[in-house]
Formats: sequence, structure tokens, C-alpha cells
Amino acid sequence: MTHQRGRISRRQTVAGLTAGLLGAGPTMAAAQTKVAPITIVINQSPWFDSFRKTVELYEKETGNKVELDVNPFAGSLEKQRNSVRARQGQYDLLIMNSGWFAEMYFGGFVEALSDIDPGLKLDPDIFTLGNTVYFDAAKKTVGSGKLMSMPISPLIPVVYYRGDLYKEAGLAAPQTFADLEANARKFNKPPRQYGIVQRGARGPASVSFDFYPYLYGFGGSVFKDQAAGDYSVALNSEQGRTALDYYIRLSREAGHPKTASIDQAEVIQNMVTGKAAHVMMVISAWSQMDDPTKSAVVDKVEFAPTPHAPGLVSAPGLGHWLGGVAKNVPDERKRAAVAFLRWYQTKPAQMATAMAGGIPVSAAIYREPLASERRFRWMKAMAESLPHAVSTLSFPEAGEVIPILELGLNRAVAGETTAVAALNDMAGQIHAVMAKYGYKTGTLPGLK
Amino acid sequence: MKAAPVAEGSLVAAGVSATPRRRAPRLDELLPRWATFAPALLLMLGLGVLPLVNLLYTSFHTVSWSGGHATFTPVGFAHYASLPFDTLLRAGLGNTVIFAVFAVAGQMVLGFALALMCSRVTRGRMFYRALFILPILVPGIVIGAIWKLMLNFDFGLINQLVELLGFEGRNWLGDKETALASVIVVDIWHWTPFCFLLLLAGLESLPQDPYEAAKIDGASWWQELRYITLPLMAPAILVTFAFRLVIAFKVFDEVYLLTAGGPGTATEVVSFTLYQRFFTEDRAGYGAAMAITIMFICALLLVMALSVRRRSEPA
Repeated sequence: MTHQRGRISRRQTVAGLTAGLLGAGPTMAAAQTKVAPITIVINQSPWFDSFRKTVELYEKETGNKVELDVNPFAGSLEKQRNSVRARQGQYDLLIMNSGWFAEMYFGGFVEALSDIDPGLKLDPDIFTLGNTVYFDAAKKTVGSGKLMSMPISPLIPVVYYRGDLYKEAGLAAPQTFADLEANARKFNKPPRQYGIVQRGARGPASVSFDFYPYLYGFGGSVFKDQAAGDYSVALNSEQGRTALDYYIRLSREAGHPKTASIDQAEVIQNMVTGKAAHVMMVISAWSQMDDPTKSAVVDKVEFAPTPHAPGLVSAPGLGHWLGGVAKNVPDERKRAAVAFLRWYQTKPAQMATAMAGGIPVSAAIYREPLASERRFRWMKAMAESLPHAVSTLSFPEAGEVIPILELGLNRAVAGETTAVAALNDMAGQIHAVMAKYGYKTGTLPGLK
Repeated sequence: MKAAPVAEGSLVAAGVSATPRRRAPRLDELLPRWATFAPALLLMLGLGVLPLVNLLYTSFHTVSWSGGHATFTPVGFAHYASLPFDTLLRAGLGNTVIFAVFAVAGQMVLGFALALMCSRVTRGRMFYRALFILPILVPGIVIGAIWKLMLNFDFGLINQLVELLGFEGRNWLGDKETALASVIVVDIWHWTPFCFLLLLAGLESLPQDPYEAAKIDGASWWQELRYITLPLMAPAILVTFAFRLVIAFKVFDEVYLLTAGGPGTATEVVSFTLYQRFFTEDRAGYGAAMAITIMFICALLLVMALSVRRRSEPA
């Protein structure tokens, strides 16, 4: 069997984009209506380049103008806040992260897409990502109500593992946490090779995002039932303790010795240099794995859904991006932003995104023959994982809770405190935040 | 034309003030003065005082957003009262003091040593000056990138050198024992040129007579430094120290770029805590109270340093 090289060449990208255009048909023609120029505020993520190429395709196809304002993660949030809180906004389309979209919904800063264009319907193939695209302003709940945004990038973590090592050892892809631990231990030969490299650093959303698949995969959670409005803190449950004990054990006995200081860039660095046998990371880094100019493990990395405890399912935390239209911009620009989103959800646009190295938000692409091509081998893991992805913090004060998780988890990983003390401490602080803002909340008895 | 010398003692004894009593300015004299001064005053009030007043006002409120509008809810001194219980702020204050003391001490010693050497160099003086001030010209973001790469555990130049010498590499930015020290070293590298420049300017403006007299008296290099240079340089040293201390207290970029306050709270500093509370968590009221408190501490430091300087000046 011959495998295609993983890296997508410029020629392949152009061919893919052209194929996308040719397959566009009437949907694309409908999008060719001239609309006002728009400005999109977005962060500089590993998937940004694919988004830029997709936007260029939109401009070429429709003749409409789109300006991209590209920023670091925290800078993008700050620019969005400044813009939406002004009398007249600078940005028409806000690319909102899972950590702050609720702030924009609850604050009344984005307008329902269905109010701007009553004819707009979400394509049935578009992933709704924990239904985070919907918001009920009257009930103040995410998950139902009006269509507020369109998925832009469905980021969830998956397991990246060294297929060549697995093949040599005669192992199958890890499914449970026990599999992952056993295999990570087997391949742990420091300092030449680490069994797993985890993202344990404290950051805007680093170690907490890395920990979610462990927490939810062991049956734990941050809150008892967020979707039902029960914000009782469940972080310091027995499942939470099992998850954090496991996470720490994995880092100390089969992981990178400096996990507490490793952020996403170092995780990628360890994987592409062949120093990591496993990492759990958002899928957007896939194209780097097979890029011979960046990777020493071209065509050697395989992908699998994040592990789970026996009897449970893979439960990666959503770290996705949604596109919402600012309320404080002129109507013509709102309509222009919706025109872009309407185009973006079409199959040809999604195909073009995939060909440009991005992660499609349409299930239709994952059913296409290209999903079984070697270079898109990650699609199977994504398609399996996405239905189980967990929306972790869907309330506007998430910005206060994330730093608590970041610090507490980082301290536990660094050995500054025990897992039990960290969980109890974080639970107490999160409870205080939720109580301060009047949520229905409570606490579990402290872990002993 | 020279005024005739007056015996001050005789005037005081006669009950006459040594300085002539000033006549109160008339209104027609005052108006032009204020008219010319007013634009500058208004500009200063607008740019300097008004934002501070706004910050102070915000610090007594909780700011929330709903329906696209901000709501200010008065909370009195609640934000200020909760500051001492903020564990992150407490960690930040402790680290900031350690950071400021060690970083500024290192910069002052190195900056002064470099200034002394440079002031005595006769050939290639411009070259050395340019070389020594180079780090301060590098943008903070580049410094972050340079040192993050150099101090990287797996691929960093420092660890490669350490391992070449037969020692085990360390996780300079990731171990709580070395993280703050590593940031201090980076800050010393970055800001020593600031001290060097100010102290060199001070050294070059010193009078040469005492040195010539000392040479005639056969004073050694150390005696010159101890009994002439240091006493004469004391005001310049204190001013440099005061400015650097205040700037060091406000350190942000190096911590943000190198460690993000971690591991744990090992490199948490007050400016970074403020950034998180105010911007990341979007707690404008609480952040404003924290900002006012930090400003107060900085002002206090400056006043203390300047009062020490005044006391050290000859009467």
C-alpha cells in the first residue's frame, strides 16, 4: 500500500480549493451577492493559516472584502471586549473562544444570526459543539434559543501517538487510561524519549484544557449539571481525585520531567522532534506533524480519541471557536458578516478549509472519501470524538474560574501541593465565585 | 554689577530678614501668568489626573455588563478590604520585592562597574558604549523570545553549555527553585544599560580637581573610588536606584513572556496579578483597587528613595 506524504503542497492546496469552487454549485452562486466589507477579529492559532486561505477564497469567489485583525489569544479577547463595549464597534465578526463566547452572549454584545437574517438556517451537517451556538437570552442559558454564532473551528484534543513505535511493539491504539499509561511507560526512555508530554504550564487556558479529557474521561466534572443550571462544584469528587492522581502519576512516572512548565508550543516541539511517544493536543497541530520542514516524525504519527475509564466514553473538553456578529456595527455590515458565515458553512467552503490544513466544522467532510486518505487520518478520531465533546464552562464568569483551575492544577503538577489539597482549594474558590454571582451552587465535602 | 557684600549676622541681629519680603502680585500681573500656564495645567489634568480619578471611582464599584451596557454598583471599600486575602496578590508582592531588590542591586553594581570602566577608556569609547547599551534597545518581546529559547530545558543553549561542562541541565524557567532567579538574570541583562547610562553621565560630570589633588597626595585607585567617586556620585546613584526600583516594581513583560507567573506562583509579580484580575478575569472594579494600591506603593518607594537622597546631599 502506498501512502501519500502527509504534507500538503501548495499545488495540492490550490487543487483542493479549485475543486471546492467547482463543486460549489448554486450555494456559492448565492453567496456572490456584493456586500459591505467586513473586519474579522481572530487569534493567531495553528489553524489560522487555513482560515486565512479560506477567507481569500471567499473574497476571490464573491468579490467581497474581508479584513483580518490577527492577535495573540489574550489580545484577541481584549480587542473584542474593547470593540463590543464601544458605541460603535470596530469588528463585525468576532471569532470567540469556548472560554469567552458566553461572556459575549450574556453581555448582549452579539446579535442572533437568525435576527439579522431570518432565512439563515444552520446546515444539518454543521457540528453544534455542545449546542454552544444557541443562546436563550430570556432564560440566560446556553444550548437552546436563538442561533447566536456559527462554528469556525471545532477544536478538541485527541491523542497523537507514534504509530511506528506502536507497530514495532505490536500495540493497538490506546482506548482506556490504563492502555495509555501502560504504553506511555513502555516508551518512556528519558531524556531521549518521553512516554507522554502533557501541557502542565499555567496560562490563559493551558493545564486546565489539558486536564479536561482526564477529568471527564474518568467521570468527573467541574460542576454537577451545568446544562440544567446546577453549578454545584463537583471538581473535588472521587472521580476528580482519580483523574488528577492519574494525570500527575503519568507526568512523573511516564512523562516529561518538567511538565509543570510545558505549554502547547513545547508539547508540539516534543512531538515533532520525536521526543514524545504520546501527546494529547488539539487537532489543529496535525499539519505540522507531516511537514518535513518542521517534523522529524513525518507519517509516523497516528491519532485516536482521548482515553476513557472502563464503561465510559471519550470526553474531550471543547476548545472550539465560534463566529458571532457584533451588535454595535451597522446593519449592512452585520448582513455582510452573516453572508460570510452562510458561505462558510457550505460543503465547498468546508472542503477548502480541510484542503488548506484546517479542521472542518461540517460532518459532511468527514464522510467524504478524502477522510480515508492517509494525510487526513486524523479525521476518523475527530469524527468519533466530536459527538462526545464536553462544553466545560459556558457562563460569562468563566474568565474568573479558569485562572483558579490553571493555578491549582499547575501547583499540583509542580508538586507545590497535593492533588487532594489542590482539588479542595480550587473547589472552594470556584464555589465562592459562583456564589458571588448568584448561581445555584454548592460544594462537596472536602476530600480527605 | 556686583552687589556689596552684606554681613547677614548683623541684619538678623537687627531683626531684619535675610531675604527681602516679596510684594503680593497684583491681579493684572496674575492673569497673564495663569492664562499662559492654564493650557499646560489643563492638559496635565486631562491626561494625568482625570484617568486617576476615574480609576479611583471605579475602584469603589463593581462593573458588570448586560444588554451591551455597563452597570456600576457601589461597593464602598469592599475591593480594598479583600486585597489582603488575595493569595495571588500576596505571592506577587513577596516575589516583586525579592525581584526588585536583587534585580536592581545587580544592575546597580554591574552598571556602575561598566560606567567606571567606560569612563576610563580612551580608545574605542563609543564602541563600548554602544555595546553596553544594546540590550536596552531590544524590544521586550524579542528579549522574551531570546531568553525563552536560551533557557529551554530540552533545546536551550544554556543547558547545552551546562551539559558540555559535564553537569546536568536544569529547567531554569520551570523549576520553582530557579524560575524567579532566571527572570531576575534576564532583567539584569535587560536593564543594566539603563543604570550604566545614567551613572556614566554622572561620572563624566564629576569635577576633576579632587582627583588631581588625590593623585598628588598619592591616593590609590581604591581610595579615589571610596573617598571621592562614591561620595560625589551618591546623588546620581540614589536617583538611578530610585527610578530603577520603581520600574522593577512594575515588571510585567519578562514575567508574562517567560513564565506567565509559574510554576505555581514562583514568579507571580504584582503587575501580572493585576493584569489577570483586571483584564483576563475582567474584574474592572477589583482591578482598579489593586492598581491604586500598587501605584500608592510605587509612589511611596519613590518618595522614600528621594528623601534618602535629600538627606545624603551636603547641606
